[in-house]
Amino acid sequence: MSDYILELKDITKIFPGVKALDGVKFQLKKGEIHALMGENGAGKSTFIKVITGVHRAEEGEMFLEGEKVNFKKTKDAQEAGIAAVYQHPTSYPDLTVAENIFKGHEVLKFGMIQWKEMNRQAETLLEQLNADFKVTDEMGTLSVAQQQMVEIAKALSTNARIIILDEPTAALTKNESEELYRIVDKLKENGVSIIFISHRFEDMYRLADRVTVLRDSQYIGTYDVDGITNADLIKAMVGREIKDLFPKPEVKLGEEVIRVENFSRTGYFKDVSFKVRAGEIIGLTGLVGAGRTEVVESICGVTRPDSGKVFLNGKEVTIKEPSDAMKNGIILLPEDRQKQGLILSWGLGDNVTLPIISKYAKGGFNDTKKERELAKDLLESVDTKAVSIFDKASTLSGGNQQKVVVAKALAQEMKVVIMDEPTKGVDVGAKAEIYQIMGELAKEGYAIIMISSEMPEILGMSDRIVIMCNGRVTGQLDRQETTQERILELAMEKSEK
Amino acid sequence: MAGKSGRTIAHTQNKSLLKRLMCWESMLVILFIIVNIYCSSLSSTYQINNVLREMPKYLTEVFLLLPMAYILVMGDIDISVGSIVCLSATVACILGNKGLPFGLVLLVGLLTGALCGLINGIIVTKFTELPPMIVTLGTQILFRGIAEIALGSGGSISLEHAEGFRMLAGRVGRIPYILFLVLILAVIYIIILSKTTFGRKLYAIGSNKLAAYYAGVKVQKIRLIVFTLTGLMAGLSALFLTALQYGVNTTTASGFEMNAISMAVFGGISTAGGKGRLQGGVIAAFIIISLRVGLGQINLNPQVILIILGALLILAVMAPNIVEQFKLMKKRSSVK
Repeated sequence: MSDYILELKDITKIFPGVKALDGVKFQLKKGEIHALMGENGAGKSTFIKVITGVHRAEEGEMFLEGEKVNFKKTKDAQEAGIAAVYQHPTSYPDLTVAENIFKGHEVLKFGMIQWKEMNRQAETLLEQLNADFKVTDEMGTLSVAQQQMVEIAKALSTNARIIILDEPTAALTKNESEELYRIVDKLKENGVSIIFISHRFEDMYRLADRVTVLRDSQYIGTYDVDGITNADLIKAMVGREIKDLFPKPEVKLGEEVIRVENFSRTGYFKDVSFKVRAGEIIGLTGLVGAGRTEVVESICGVTRPDSGKVFLNGKEVTIKEPSDAMKNGIILLPEDRQKQGLILSWGLGDNVTLPIISKYAKGGFNDTKKERELAKDLLESVDTKAVSIFDKASTLSGGNQQKVVVAKALAQEMKVVIMDEPTKGVDVGAKAEIYQIMGELAKEGYAIIMISSEMPEILGMSDRIVIMCNGRVTGQLDRQETTQERILELAMEKSEK
Repeated sequence: MAGKSGRTIAHTQNKSLLKRLMCWESMLVILFIIVNIYCSSLSSTYQINNVLREMPKYLTEVFLLLPMAYILVMGDIDISVGSIVCLSATVACILGNKGLPFGLVLLVGLLTGALCGLINGIIVTKFTELPPMIVTLGTQILFRGIAEIALGSGGSISLEHAEGFRMLAGRVGRIPYILFLVLILAVIYIIILSKTTFGRKLYAIGSNKLAAYYAGVKVQKIRLIVFTLTGLMAGLSALFLTALQYGVNTTTASGFEMNAISMAVFGGISTAGGKGRLQGGVIAAFIIISLRVGLGQINLNPQVILIILGALLILAVMAPNIVEQFKLMKKRSSVK
């Protein structure tokens, strides 16, 4: 009999163009709490989805209590006693707690739901978890923490032996987290094995027996939590020689181009100030939800800040909506290219020229010929893998769509270029090309703000790094004087207090 | 920055003439011809003279089709236009009967429409979370309610000083003024939608409002303009309708909004926004008008005409889907 309740060997998962998992191994002891850590995009979620049967791995083997298993669908994993609780519970807000717990495996008799029996069973489960709400409450009236509890009860109702928690504390307050720790401990006492994903070191120290680190789709190592330090972990998560992968040109910095002063928007960010010089690349980083996107959206007029000023070349500018920002040469490449960046049902050419049609128009009439020539030139300059400017944007891959978004920005007169997660969901090859373009833009003297959650990208491309945490700037560091550890510390600083 | 791979991207389209002609608008033109041949075969009175005489009352709806096409292209909808027509007509009628100069009556009629449109526009652009369908449903009831109060207990007003209005209903030879105006406006509306930056922006808004906004399109300003324009056109429609009916009553122009929307949809304009051309809408309008006049000539029950028009509309909307299904079936069978 194996020591491990769950063991995975050499798991490789390939998505079109990307290796999402590359020979990953994992061992879960019986009754153990095992943390899974790594940067965004390291492959944690994909790995979890392989375990729960959402994805099927191309290579590798999975053993459950020493027996080889092969999950074809999520139901197989469920029946084998594996349940996952996701960060955002996928519940039915209008149904009761009991209904949610037994969704999909209702207590039936002759095809009829046995309400009394079902509610009684649900009550027993909630009692185990010390829940402070009733089984007849509507799901939608519960807090996120309570909903999570219901999800855990749901996992228990399927007699799960292995429960996977995906960022369980991300949306919880300090007290709620404590409550969750207590529940997880109790589950452990009952012999349930637990895998959890978290970005919070605190969770790991508090709960986990062991931790496995993934990086760039690869297995890095498994460590005992006793005796491990923050620094060790961060090194495992991000550590590698990265600077050479980024074509960051040496640029002599010019005058200040844009300065943001005391930017505040209630509930999103407070007192944000920074400036960018000509040819400088600022890396704006922080955890997801730190307010980075919200700040640049306010700079570009997508939303209005409550207070604060923007200075362009030393002069204050008023920006009420995106068109004002564009007039001033502040160009945003939004994070969600499918919803914000592109009109997917349109051809590439029309997408690229949409921001500038008025400039090329004669007396209000579109100059289609000129537009098409311009679009062709721009799309060629960013090396899009498209055949024609009439190809629909929806037909391109993520990386190529991003290049179209870049071309759309290049079509405009730029002073400040703001890129929000420019390489999110982009494969490695296209990433390098986007960095290349970014470098060239810097060389041409544009001020560049790059929002990114990816540490290598931040360290590789930025001259200066602005770190945000909970809506505030917690640090501004020069690239030369900083380390990944320092950035992570600043990014997490206040979220723990 | 030159392309590193030296790959070139095509920027011209070589569409054969046949392919260019294979579009919904061509189908509509053919349908228009068929409908006219059919109507002439139905009744010996379906002649150009009679058609031109019957046509004007239906043409008042085409005034509404033109801006409605813009609204639908933006992915919005305005179902209050019929009520705006009624209210504008009421105001014009009352002022006309008071003996005001006819020029002033026209102006106030138009402005009443524009004001109503502006109200719609302000509500839908300031409270963007409200669906335009519901907002204009509210104003539909509201505007007609105001008109009904103004119309008084009788529920109708007849023109007393009809000279000016009679002029509107005049004709050059056999051709009514309104036909000229409709055709000229249709051409202008079509050109604006298909050739100008304004038109392109309307399609951008209808295809992806958020992406359009991020690309610097002043989404709310444009929506406000189009809703106001729609009101103005409803005012124009009201003036001609008053002239043709020698007055106004509480049911004036009821259902016009749905007729305008049907014409647009029949013409290939999607209510989901971003798709379709006004050319199609205008041709569709004339198909519907021909049918109504033609079937009216043989004294067909108006309710039956409605049934025929309704069925035709459903067929027209289904047609592209049926073609898609057919293509899909063909593809599947070829795979096997």
